[in-house]
Amino acid sequence: MNVEKLTRLAISDNGFIFDPITGHSFTTNEIGIKIINLLKENKENEDILDELAEIYSVNENELDVDLMDFIHNLKNFSLV
Amino acid sequence: MKITVAISGINAIDNPGPGTGIAKSLKESGLDVRTIGLAYDALEPGIYMDDVIDKSYIMPYPSGERESFIKRIAYIHSIEKLDVVISALDAELPIYMDIEKDLAKMGIKMLIPTKEMFKLRNKTELEKLAEEIGVKNPAYIACTSYPDLLAALNIVGYPCMVKGPFYEAFKANNLVEAELHFSKIANKWGYPIIVQKFIYGEEFDVIGCGSGNGEDLGIFAIRKMTTTSLGKVWNAVSIHNDELIDATKRMIAKLQWRGGLEFEALIENRTGDIYLLEINPRFPAWIYMASGCGINLPERMVKFLLNLDHESHSDYESGKMMIRYTAELVKDISEFEKITTNGELENRSKK
Repeated sequence: MNVEKLTRLAISDNGFIFDPITGHSFTTNEIGIKIINLLKENKENEDILDELAEIYSVNENELDVDLMDFIHNLKNFSLV
Repeated sequence: MKITVAISGINAIDNPGPGTGIAKSLKESGLDVRTIGLAYDALEPGIYMDDVIDKSYIMPYPSGERESFIKRIAYIHSIEKLDVVISALDAELPIYMDIEKDLAKMGIKMLIPTKEMFKLRNKTELEKLAEEIGVKNPAYIACTSYPDLLAALNIVGYPCMVKGPFYEAFKANNLVEAELHFSKIANKWGYPIIVQKFIYGEEFDVIGCGSGNGEDLGIFAIRKMTTTSLGKVWNAVSIHNDELIDATKRMIAKLQWRGGLEFEALIENRTGDIYLLEINPRFPAWIYMASGCGINLPERMVKFLLNLDHESHSDYESGKMMIRYTAELVKDISEFEKITTNGELENRSKK
């Protein structure tokens, strides 16, 4: 996964995201910010799932589905 | 040093001219400037905007006699001692290109494209220019008759864009819509009318000012967030897209562009390719946004023309938004009377 575009995003603490090249803006939540930051560190999906599982009490399957869904959204917005 | 600048296009209406944005930029610059509005109609809102236009004059239509146009400017110059005229309307540029030397003899300076430059950015010439500056141009056909339109639609297909020679562009999804837009544009603006392939993507605008030697006085780029039914920017956000900015710089260098310009481009969703849609040979109506972000191109243009020190950088912040809004002024009918009967109106600033 190419995460280069994620590195150029301006992300505020409250989840507002601005792309200075396209002018698009998005909103996400605390978990979204965490996932984007982990992707920017080139972490594999398994590593991201492990880190999230340590923070949030949710079953592994649900977490996996949510992560895939989030990455799918990033692809739809041409961010990865 | 008091500088007097005459500005046209003060028709701040639903299809806004750039004049009031230019005047506002000058008023907020470091210049001590008197702004003179050049209007074509007594109801152009800029005439009544005390804070940005100091005095307005009604002008003869640019499509009329050259001599009466010069005579009117000479009259205004005899009163105002104009230093610079900033032309802000496409339709009047040809006459200003004709009389620029006459104005220079009077001591009035302008920074406008030459006839050759003006021709090279015509909608019918854009394909060649786009290729030369390394961007794409949507396939198009120029039409000067109804049979031309039908032939063009057969080739381009739907959806397509139907565009006027100077202003207005509409998307047509079928023959009925295309015919409607074609007739409307032909009646209003004449020919040629462009039928162009519709590209799915997002529209971006870049503005700049060329000094005439291939260099620019600054560049500023936006993404249109919302537009009006006429396709005019209503909300926008500043962006830093190096590919768009570099393409604009290449265009300015290639044409040795003189004066303000708006580089309208579309980035295709599927490929990310840049398509050059149009080059407007003057500042756009949203020019004040650039000034508000620190790239005051009207100020730089005036300073350049008067050989004053000026900035030419393009350093601005991305993520600045322009919020356009509507407003109302309440004026006494006597002001309308003055501009209608005398052809001129001095504003008394409330400042």
